[in-house]
Amino acid sequence: MAQESAVQYEPVAEIGGGAYGTVYKARDRDSGQFVALKSVRVQTNQDGLPVSTVREVALLKRLEQFDHPNIVRLMDVCATLRTDQETKVTLVFEHVDQDLRTYLEKVPAPGLPIDRIRDLMQQLLCGLAFLHSNRVLHRDLKPENILVTSRGQVKLADFGLARIYSCHMALTPVVVTLWYRSPEVLLQTSYATPLDIWSTGCIFAEMFRRKPLFCGDSEVDQLGKIFAVIGLPAEDEWPTDVTLSRQNFSPQTPQPITDCVPEISEKGAELLLEMLTFDPLKRISALNALEHPFFTE
Amino acid sequence: MRKMMHVEDELTKAAATGNTYRVQFLLSNGVNVNGVNKFGRTPIQVMMMGNTPLAHLLLEYGADPNVPDPGTGSTPLHDAARTGFMDTVQLLIRFNADPNSTDHSNLRPVDVARRTGHMDVAEFLSRI
Repeated sequence: MAQESAVQYEPVAEIGGGAYGTVYKARDRDSGQFVALKSVRVQTNQDGLPVSTVREVALLKRLEQFDHPNIVRLMDVCATLRTDQETKVTLVFEHVDQDLRTYLEKVPAPGLPIDRIRDLMQQLLCGLAFLHSNRVLHRDLKPENILVTSRGQVKLADFGLARIYSCHMALTPVVVTLWYRSPEVLLQTSYATPLDIWSTGCIFAEMFRRKPLFCGDSEVDQLGKIFAVIGLPAEDEWPTDVTLSRQNFSPQTPQPITDCVPEISEKGAELLLEMLTFDPLKRISALNALEHPFFTE
Repeated sequence: MRKMMHVEDELTKAAATGNTYRVQFLLSNGVNVNGVNKFGRTPIQVMMMGNTPLAHLLLEYGADPNVPDPGTGSTPLHDAARTGFMDTVQLLIRFNADPNSTDHSNLRPVDVARRTGHMDVAEFLSRI
């Protein structure tokens, strides 16, 4: 890791953060481009940085070597010693001046043409398949961290940071959105790559609707809103290791998905349902989703 | 413990993250559209360049589109050209952004657009 290059990257605005660290929009004075500085404070001892942090940073750097078109570039990593016990690790990422939320807000009625949605989804799934094949979970996919360049190129941001932040985040009362969260995460049972596919399904629907699909205001409310559309899962599908029991929810039959997303095509509806499948083991993978007839219809 | 943010920092944060509703709320409550944040930048200098409706809102409230970045001399028009957002470029011109301003490398917005390969933007700017 390089020493602080504060001179090269000059912050221009705070754009996010909490107790774990802060995110800045900054300018790279060499190129004139904007970058995103993401810093996290980590406890250190005489051995230096914790192994877990070094490992996570190494993983991000390894991913960077593939230069994947649908992933934001990691341009630099800096470590600054703050005190004897604390080091600030700063990750310098490419900054894209448009996110999917803004992109969808700008679309005039009657909405995005299906060909544009197909292209956005294909790029999103390519980025995700790449992360998943490298055993990286995004964990927090939402329109705010799916970036769209002025040339229409999709780039995923904020992946792989969750584990660097995780131990800090538990202590932070930062409000995070529940709207894209999968049932297994809401139920606090075990999760893996399918959790990102659930979020992708919610976003897929949002591309047609131009408003979010499930807007819950608590974990239970979020699950209730999901079951109102996909139906209450069968007794034998309900995970056994969770505290929230199935009896907390009223019996519901699945609604036709076209009631929520009337503009979707037939193949699109099929793909959406395969993404919004309750059982993570039966949910479609990113690679298989890319092979779905929706992309060739 | 979270520190209170100054309203100027709130406004630049909302502008940079493309949160149009928050920008609208802060401006309609009297926050200065040309106020500088703790890094000495105004909202239009740090806004999400692709968010043209947000740019429009700032400009309608009287944001100065010609304020240069103290470090590099880039104006918002340079940055809109560099990132290639044509709608924002056209909007800035409509609100009297100066297409002939030069940054510290002596580049005009049209030069920046060319160098970054945004030929539609370069074409538009060269016709002014």
